[in-house]
Amino acid sequence: MIDLVRDDTAIGGPHDRFPSTRFSLLEAAAASGPSNEALDQVAKLYWKPVYRYIRLKFRKDNEDAKDLTQSFFAAALERDFFASFDPAKASFRTYLRMAVERFAANQHAAANRQKRGGHIEFEPVDDQPATTASPEQVFEREWQRQLFTLALDDLRSHSERCGKRLPFAIFESYDLTEDDRPSYAALAARYSIAETSVTNHLAWARRMLRGFVTARLRGVTSGDQELNQELRRACI
Amino acid sequence: MHLSDSVLDHLRQVVALPDLTGTRYELESEIGRGGLGVVYAARDIQLNRRVALKVMDAALTGEAELIARLEHPGIVPIHETGTLPDGRIFYAMKLVAGSRLDLYLDASQSVAERLRVIRRVGEALAYAHSHGVIHRDLKPQNLLVGEFGEIYVMDWGVDRVAGTPAFRAPEPRLDQRSDIYSLGALLAFVLPRAAPPALEAISQKAMSADPTARYPDVPALLADIARFEDGLPVQAWSEPLWHRLRRFGSRNAVLLWLVAAYAAVKFLLFFLRNL
Repeated sequence: MIDLVRDDTAIGGPHDRFPSTRFSLLEAAAASGPSNEALDQVAKLYWKPVYRYIRLKFRKDNEDAKDLTQSFFAAALERDFFASFDPAKASFRTYLRMAVERFAANQHAAANRQKRGGHIEFEPVDDQPATTASPEQVFEREWQRQLFTLALDDLRSHSERCGKRLPFAIFESYDLTEDDRPSYAALAARYSIAETSVTNHLAWARRMLRGFVTARLRGVTSGDQELNQELRRACI
Repeated sequence: MHLSDSVLDHLRQVVALPDLTGTRYELESEIGRGGLGVVYAARDIQLNRRVALKVMDAALTGEAELIARLEHPGIVPIHETGTLPDGRIFYAMKLVAGSRLDLYLDASQSVAERLRVIRRVGEALAYAHSHGVIHRDLKPQNLLVGEFGEIYVMDWGVDRVAGTPAFRAPEPRLDQRSDIYSLGALLAFVLPRAAPPALEAISQKAMSADPTARYPDVPALLADIARFEDGLPVQAWSEPLWHRLRRFGSRNAVLLWLVAAYAAVKFLLFFLRNL
């Protein structure tokens, strides 16, 4: 079994392997049974959204939520999880969220049966970030965040491999800053390049980022139609 | 690396924007979203004019080129098609100033004006059908009324468009008769509440669940509307006798008044002669 959990922030961390862009891993997994590669792709993108969803929906503490998330992905490998996905009914993202909900509810009920003879009681957890969003909204938001985090990792690795450190540095200074964005002129002065070069470097990095977002999604969607729908949900 | 909400939203925005590097266009603003892509206002730097730039979600071939070749006053002309550096297909089209049909229609428009809109849409549709192109997603949001009252049919569909439920024909495989269904739904949409029953019947016939019970083509539907406008019986409705008489009366009002006046004079003369 692949090692899915090191800690709740390690999943989907830096890596140097590009996801497949030629075919959908879901299609391959549905045809030939679940593979480590397919589950790896799915887990990298969905581990955090699932974890946050379980914490919020079932009010689990950090450790319980991690255990449940881990158990869910482990069970997905053993069952016909990919084969029973029907793209005509829902997106894979929705299918997975509903599967998590069923799985976590069953596990939760079983645990409570053991403890109390069947009575389900959700315990409040104090250390969750305060939010007014529903668990479903948090799930989608975390999915977007993880998708872009993975794509940014891809972009960083790609930039380093291809000698494109300058474009990435400019992109980082402009698009990833938490502070006020610098002007193109200021960036041109900082890196001693022409202002038009700043525009071109930014365009390159954004284009590549879109490509990596698309590639990540392609791995976990059933085909072009679902891919385009998911791209629309991921991007504004 | 943790992406904050503000950085995440910024990234979501910048990767969605079309990459116009190396093209003749400069992005201005987003002006609409359709089933297959996003439309932006842009400036053509070479010709120094504003254009509408439709950036498609999916790569389209074949039919898209066919649509680009359609030349009709009711179809927005496409200046150019191409591929952006990020792989997306785009169309550069004439930027039309106007209002969407659903926003254009209000209580002040006469039935005649509403039927003019349907006629113009139907003419564009008939032209496209004659070139083997079907729309697949005809609805008020896809129709633009220009500043001179001209009507444009936008968002010509391709295979993957699912259609909009209220205007979409029930059959799973869409063809020209599915567009006739949508045109009938559009007629029902533009008609006022107390619409003439003949027009309602035309709409209902066009919207028959069975495609073979609909009009065979768009010109047949338009011909029925023209018959209504000329005060003639329409194919879609076998009208009751009293309605037929009333229609005959309103269509031949002058003649009837003349006959009545003649009869009155004759009666008066007859009455005077027998005094």
